[in-house]
Amino acid sequence: MALLELLAPAGSKEKMEFAFLYGADAIYFAGQEFGLRANAKNFTRDEMRETVEYAHSLGKRCYVTVNIVFHNEDLTNLKDYLLFLDSINVDAILASDITVMKLHKELNLKMELHISTQASTLNSEVAAFYKELGAKRVVLAREANRKDIIDIKEKTGLDIECFAHGAMCTSISGRCVMSNYATNRDSNRGGCVQICRWTFDYNKDGQKVTETPFSMTPKDLNMISYIEDMINVGVNSFKIEGRMRSIYYVSTVILIYRRIIDKILNNTLDDEYKEYALKVLNRVANRESSPQFYDKLPGVNEQYYLGRDEASNQDFLGLVLDSKDGLVKIEERNTFKVGDTVEFFGPSFETFSYTIDKIYDKDMNEIDKAVHPKEELYIKVNADIPKNSMMRIKL
Amino acid sequence: MDDYKKVGISNFLFPVNDLSIGYNSFNIDDIPDNSYLLINRVFDTEALELFKSIIPKLNRFKGIFFEDLSILHLLKDSNLELIWNQAHFVTNYSSINYYLDEGCKSALISNEITKEEILEILDKATKPLVFNVFGKNMIMYSRRTLVSNFNTHNNIESINNVNIDEEKTNTHFFLKEDKYGTAVFNRDYFNYINKIDVDDNKILFYLVYNSDLSTNEVIDIINGKEYGNDGFLYKKTTYKMKEYDDRRGDK
Repeated sequence: MALLELLAPAGSKEKMEFAFLYGADAIYFAGQEFGLRANAKNFTRDEMRETVEYAHSLGKRCYVTVNIVFHNEDLTNLKDYLLFLDSINVDAILASDITVMKLHKELNLKMELHISTQASTLNSEVAAFYKELGAKRVVLAREANRKDIIDIKEKTGLDIECFAHGAMCTSISGRCVMSNYATNRDSNRGGCVQICRWTFDYNKDGQKVTETPFSMTPKDLNMISYIEDMINVGVNSFKIEGRMRSIYYVSTVILIYRRIIDKILNNTLDDEYKEYALKVLNRVANRESSPQFYDKLPGVNEQYYLGRDEASNQDFLGLVLDSKDGLVKIEERNTFKVGDTVEFFGPSFETFSYTIDKIYDKDMNEIDKAVHPKEELYIKVNADIPKNSMMRIKL
Repeated sequence: MDDYKKVGISNFLFPVNDLSIGYNSFNIDDIPDNSYLLINRVFDTEALELFKSIIPKLNRFKGIFFEDLSILHLLKDSNLELIWNQAHFVTNYSSINYYLDEGCKSALISNEITKEEILEILDKATKPLVFNVFGKNMIMYSRRTLVSNFNTHNNIESINNVNIDEEKTNTHFFLKEDKYGTAVFNRDYFNYINKIDVDDNKILFYLVYNSDLSTNEVIDIINGKEYGNDGFLYKKTTYKMKEYDDRRGDK
């Protein structure tokens, strides 16, 4: 059977552990150098080595982004860095700059070469060009439609990775330096400040056209409705965006896509679950989402018009630390109280709802309300709930 | 063209209908012989097929400034001069030399790098390069019809070629849309003419883009009239917040 993979973002070791726990087959992350999330926590060399060992012990894979567009000064340590990544058995690097690809070939590295979405691959000739350079996989531009995917797969046989969920660039990835011009921060070296999520005055011939601020912000990507079709046309890896997102977001999204893919593979996916999945995903993100380019050219309904229209998400109520004798120990994340109906979810059981009737503090004093994030509390629940499961508002 | 030729401009670059973005473009059959073509769309499958269909018409041209690497893959063994012009990617000598080794005649140096970086690239490149010394930079290319979408959402009559402005950062952009997407330009001209002491042997062409000036104005600028800003010549970009804050004096 062809490779079929759910690929998760890992902005930190903690997120990596949750991504794997909740069903990711592979993760992608950056080291301290050469990645496009320059201001994420990212991984030290020691952490990268430990992460790869941990992933491989689980039978999972690790990909490292080396996908900045290089300036002269960035070339100095690149060879050493690639040799290091290869030496710790990273499974693949993601590259957009031809120098990285060239070095991968010259150094005869055993880790795979994946072409980053920053290279904006949308056609089979470009994919063939990269294949000749040694690429095993191409991460298609988010602008790829169904026809593009089929053509590239049929004509190159490369592994195809597509974004399935998460934030979109307004621009074709890599073709934007608006940050450079507005703030002097280099978007193609990880400094993007998302100018495309700002609002602007809208003028024509020196006259303001409207008092309504101009916005060009895209809604997020959400491919739940098309995963089965994407599998059928040859997509091998479904990528979740969001190295800067919370463990709650990563765990929720990964679990939903894990179950969708598994249900497709065992022919149990139905409309009811798809509707439920959409409901969960629409709730966990702080932005609306849509399939974007897969089935049509995005139009007026695939954008926001009020800038960063993002509601703060306070659904995540607590992280399960332990469970014993009908008491669940949780670390509080957002306020909840006796009488609230909540949901527990995790990778090894079906999500269930529960109305809280008792809350205790760490000294087992009964309290009515949990109001201190990070406080360890106990809730009476007549079920064993595995560590690192999560409690959220009932959706 | 005649006026430009009088002051020594030797080559002309023509955007091509349906294959170029951001500029007024021409039917391939109307473009003069021995011109260079600017083909700067990122090709999807349909665009690739369109490009393949015009390959038999390309023999009479000198070369192509290309964005999409499919053009190199298809034409590397042709007699056309291929100029690597992948937006914002032509920023280091190593990558440039790769494409020059692969059969490209030259590369157009990106504009978001410093004078020192440009000089090092010119020094280490294995062939003469194209140096864009005047113009308005295209700084973003979206496949979305951003202007139409905003107009539709706000019941604004169909307008194009609009300006967007943000006061706090003194940001002034220009948007030009067609059915293939939206190009965003910085509204200020940059002018590197006479600002870098370059060995002419390392230059294939000095490139001038004119968006909205008269021919005489452009000729005056080529002849040394002060106009436009220094772009990134003396302004090194940053990308880590700590480095950014340190430069602004924040701690």
